[in-house]
Order: sequence, then structure tokens, then C-alpha cells
Amino acid sequence: MKYDVVVVGSGPAGSVTARFAAEAGAKVLIVERRAEVGVPVLCGEGISQKVDNFKILEGKRWIATKMEGARIFSPNGTHITLSAEFAGSETGYVVYRDIFDQELARGAIKKGVEIMLNTCALDLLKKDGQIKGIKAQHFNEKLEIEADVVVGADGVESRVGKWAGIQTTLKPHDLETCVQYTLTNIEWDSPYCDFFLGKHVAPGGYVWVFPKGKDVANVGIGILASLSESGLAVKLLDKFIATHPELKKGEPLRVITGADPVGEPVESIRDNLILVGDAARQVDPITGGGLMNSIEAGKYAGETIGKAVKTQRFDSQTLSEYETHWKKAFGKKLHRNYVVKEIMLDMEDKTLDMLADSLKDYKFEEFSTMSIIKALVTKHPSLLVKLTPLMKLARS
Amino acid sequence: MEKPKAFVRKEKCLACGGCISVCPQDAILMVISKALVNKEQCNSCSICVKTCPIGAISWEEEPL
Repeated sequence: MKYDVVVVGSGPAGSVTARFAAEAGAKVLIVERRAEVGVPVLCGEGISQKVDNFKILEGKRWIATKMEGARIFSPNGTHITLSAEFAGSETGYVVYRDIFDQELARGAIKKGVEIMLNTCALDLLKKDGQIKGIKAQHFNEKLEIEADVVVGADGVESRVGKWAGIQTTLKPHDLETCVQYTLTNIEWDSPYCDFFLGKHVAPGGYVWVFPKGKDVANVGIGILASLSESGLAVKLLDKFIATHPELKKGEPLRVITGADPVGEPVESIRDNLILVGDAARQVDPITGGGLMNSIEAGKYAGETIGKAVKTQRFDSQTLSEYETHWKKAFGKKLHRNYVVKEIMLDMEDKTLDMLADSLKDYKFEEFSTMSIIKALVTKHPSLLVKLTPLMKLARS
Repeated sequence: MEKPKAFVRKEKCLACGGCISVCPQDAILMVISKALVNKEQCNSCSICVKTCPIGAISWEEEPL
């Protein structure tokens, strides 16, 4: 089997990369280990409305609800409200991720991409030290799939990068370990995505409630793996639900686990091999959101690969356009948010409470650095000292 | 005596891959949507045991 491009993984990063490469004329194969694209879902299912700009999804079947913004609850229950335009990149829609992923794959297939399910990538195919494709297994059949470019879109547990010598093992400090119920029979009628912070709520992470319809919501938790003990995430989530009367009577329609890389991105190109999405750690370290970045990076990766195929140049210099492009688009933000994540991890619950109290009536629509400092100083002057590292970051 | 090795309870595993992503020994693989520990490579560091959000990884019981 010979292709221009072989993509490992049919999640959003893989499908979007494949789509744009195919659109530029490349012959593309996606290999997917699972028996169904998008299943099991391993995600909170929130995405920014920015996804609309990419015009890669048809219809509305993948949308569960459209959100009006986000609310962030400090440990003592004080909350601040961020309207849609200010809620950051991870609110907008709550989606059905299985349908979402299948629609992205369908879009890629329409552009000529081929897909093989039940096919597990085993290693790189190398000749004279050069990457020539992948070795894979389809049930009992061993395959050699030749390709000029190999794309690792194999998620948080990525192995493709490791085969090429890219160090992708995460430190427990850089992983959020997650569990989520889709609950029904709840009394949670809110147009907001809610986030709950606190050392006793979710150490190093947060609990989320993402409404998915009238009496259905995704209720999940992510905690930092370095602060985790065996099964702690699900214990804390059960406790959260039991102590919230609106959720207490809820029954689960689904339980899923997830793992969210919240470290800094890794090298995304090695020779003629590219990493995209969670495999490249293109995830916002504060929110843990990665869908939008995966899609944006996938577009750049696909376009760059398309050019490489046209010119038949597959060296890392030609492919580096991809890395330049995604770093320009959101690389700085990822780095800045990694620093902010570190600062927030050091914050006491009391500090978070003071922050929320200072900002609960703040109009984020009229945001300016001066007005936010004023809001902070007026209520809790001591916050200024605690927030010095953040202020320094804002100025740099 | 050799330390006990990490052990995935297959019936509990929901295949998120978190354990694989943090294993410093690359000792865990996903096999038919269940994590599986390669005992030869496991160095009993306990990172995967602590990471699993639903407690599906424990220590292999010593043979009787």
C-alpha cells in the first residue's frame, strides 16, 4: 500500500489534517485503532463558536446546546460570569463528540480521504534510517503502509512521536486526569458552562457542568495527576454531585474517563513526521481545552503537507511551515497560559475567593487592565501583592 | 523479593490512555480498548496507579 500521507488517529486533529491535505491533492489514508470513529468519547464536549469559521462541519446535528457564556465558582461559591464573547476559547457549543468526530471524518472522506478502522499502528516503517511509512495490524493481518509523510494524531497517549525520537511522556504535573457523567433527571437549567474551583473540589483542576439539553448535562472533574490518588477523581466527583441538590437526583446516561495534557507543546516535526493535536500537546493548560487548537493546527498541517506533496519535498524544512504557522496562531497563548496555570496552582482557596468577590460585579465586556486592577484594589487590596506574578506577565 | 507490578483491571478500564501518557517506562499499551501493563518493563513506580481517575489500576497480587 502506498500513499502520500498516512494519518494515525481519526480524531479532530487527524481528520482535519487529512481533509486539508486531500483538498490540496494528496492521497491520504487514516488508520484508526477503534471500530467506530469518535467512540468512546473522552472529552467534556465544549468548543468555541470559532469552529464555525473553519467551515468544516455541515448541519447542526453535532450541536447539543449553544452556550451564553461561562461562570466560574470560587471555593466558597462566589461566582463571576463571563459572557460568550469574553468567556475564552472553550465555550460556545456543547457538542456530541461522537457525531462531531464522525462529521469531521465524513468531511475528509468527501475530499477523497480513505479510512481503515480496527487498524492499530505498531511502528514506523524505516529504510536506511529514513521514515517510509508505518507498520500496522488489521486484526491478524500485518501491514506495511508506505507514505511520504506520517502524521501522528494519536492523542494524549501518542506513540508515533516516540517512535521518531520525540519525547512525549508527560510528567504527572502536566496531566489532568478526568472522569465525567452525562447526568439526566437533574434540575440544572442554565445557559452557562460552569466551572468550580477549590482544593477540596478538584485539586489542581476543576469540576465542570456543561448543559446538554433541558435536564441533561455533562458533569465532570479533572484533577492534576501529581495530586491524585487511585480513584480520587471519581470519589470527588461523586461527592460534588451528592452535595448539590440540583444534581443529587441525577442518574447517569454515560460515564467516561479522559486524560488531558496540560504541559507545554512538544516538537511537532521530526524529518517527514508531524504531530498534531493532543499528540503535540496543543492544549490550553488552564482550561484543558484542545478541540479548537487541534482543528486550527490540523488545517495548517494539511495545507503544508499539500504543498510538500505538490513539490515532492518532504524534508523538515519544507514541513516546518506547519510549526511556524501554529506557533504564530496560538503558541504564545499556550506558553503564557502554562505560566498562569503554574501561578494559579500556587493560589490558596482564600485568594481565589477574594478574586471572585472582587470581580463578581465586574463588567468583562468593558475589560481594561486599569479597570480590573481598580476592581481588585477597591475590595481586597492584599490581592495586588498576591497577583504580582500575573501582573508582570501581563506587562511582558 | 521483587516489587509487585501495576495491574489493570480490564473490566473497569475505560480506555482514556492517561496511564500510558505518564508511564516513564513506556510499559503500558492499549490493547482492544483496554490498557495493558507489560510486566517486564514496569518498574513499580506507582504513577499509573495514582493517575487512574476511577481506580482501575492496582498492584498485581502475589502468586500464592
